[in-house]
Amino acid sequence: MNKLVKKTLITAVLAAAAFALYYNFSLLPGYQDLEKGISDYIITYGLHDTGSLNLITAVLYDYRAFDSLGESTVIFGAVSGIVLILSRKMLPVSSKGLSFIVKRTLGIMTPFIALFGFYVITHGHLSPGGGFQGGVILAAISIIFSIVYGSAFDYRRYSPQTKTVLETGGALTFLVIGLAGIVMEGAFLKNLGFLTAERGTLISAGSIPYINIGVGFKVGAGLAIIFYSMIQKTFEEDF
Amino acid sequence: MLTNLIFIILFMVGFYALIMKTNLIKNVIGLNLMEAAIFFWVISFSDIGGEVSIHKFGETMGKFNDPVPQALTLTGIVIGASTAALLLTLIIELNKFSGTIDRDQIEELND
Repeated sequence: MNKLVKKTLITAVLAAAAFALYYNFSLLPGYQDLEKGISDYIITYGLHDTGSLNLITAVLYDYRAFDSLGESTVIFGAVSGIVLILSRKMLPVSSKGLSFIVKRTLGIMTPFIALFGFYVITHGHLSPGGGFQGGVILAAISIIFSIVYGSAFDYRRYSPQTKTVLETGGALTFLVIGLAGIVMEGAFLKNLGFLTAERGTLISAGSIPYINIGVGFKVGAGLAIIFYSMIQKTFEEDF
Repeated sequence: MLTNLIFIILFMVGFYALIMKTNLIKNVIGLNLMEAAIFFWVISFSDIGGEVSIHKFGETMGKFNDPVPQALTLTGIVIGASTAALLLTLIIELNKFSGTIDRDQIEELND
C-alpha cells in the first residue's frame, strides 16, 4: 500500500513536471528565428575551407577536431575502465558456436561486412559515414566471430593484443596528425593543406580521411574489447 | 509541437524508469531513453526540410539542413554508448559480489 501511494505521488509529480516542461518548450522560438551565424558560415564556406563534401564530417574532424579527440579519449577511458574492472578473468566462455549452415553463410558474408566497414570509414568525407560509424561495423565482425564460431575462434584469429595495438594505433594516428598540424600549419589539428587533392576524389580534404581511418580502427577495436571483456567468465566457472 | 510532445513523453518515461525501477539494468535503459529523447529533439528541431548536408559533387545544392546539431548529436551518441557500457560493467561486477542487481535488495544486504 505504501509503495502504491509512493508510485502514484511520483507519477503525479512527473506529470506536473512534464506539463511545465511542455509549456516552457512551446515558448521557444522556432528554428528559423534563431541566430545561427556559425551554421550559415559552415554551410556557405565549409566545402571551400576543408574540401570535404560531407559537411558533418567537416565539422567533426576539422572545425571541432579537438572535441573529437576528447570524444575518442572518452571511449579510451571507458575501454580502460571496463578492462580494469573485468581484468581478473583471463579465459573466455568456451562456446561451441552455432550450426554448420550459419557458420558457412557467415563465412561468405563476413568479408563483405568488412568491406562495407572500410568503405564507410574511408569515404567519410564524401558520403554519409565516417570513423565512428564504420568502426561500429568493424566491431560487429568480432561479435559475429564470438557468437557464430565460438569465442575461442575469435581469441585465436583476432587476439586481444591485436585489438589493443589497433586501438592504440588509431589514437596515435589522431595525435600524430594533430602534432603535424602544429609543425606544418601552425595550430594543433589544423587541416593539412598540402594533402588536399582535387575535390570529390578519395584522397582529398586534407587530413580528414587519415583521421577517419585512425578513429575507425580505434572505435572498432575499442568496442570489440568491450564486448570481449563482458563475455568473459571466471576461471572456476569454466573448468 | 508534436516534436516537443514526443520529446517530453520519452524523457519522462526514461526519468520514471531511472528513479522508480529497482532493477539497475532498467535504470541504465531509462538513462539511455532520456539521451535518445534529447537527440531526437535536437535533430527534429533543426530539421527545416532541406537537403542532407552533404554536397553532391559537381551540382549546386538547395537549402541544407544544419550540420552543427547533427555533429553534436554524433558526439553525444558516442559518449552515451561509452557510459552505458561502463555502467553495465559495474552492474556485472556488483552482481558477482552481491548476487543481485536489485537496488532494494542491495540496500538490505548493507544493513
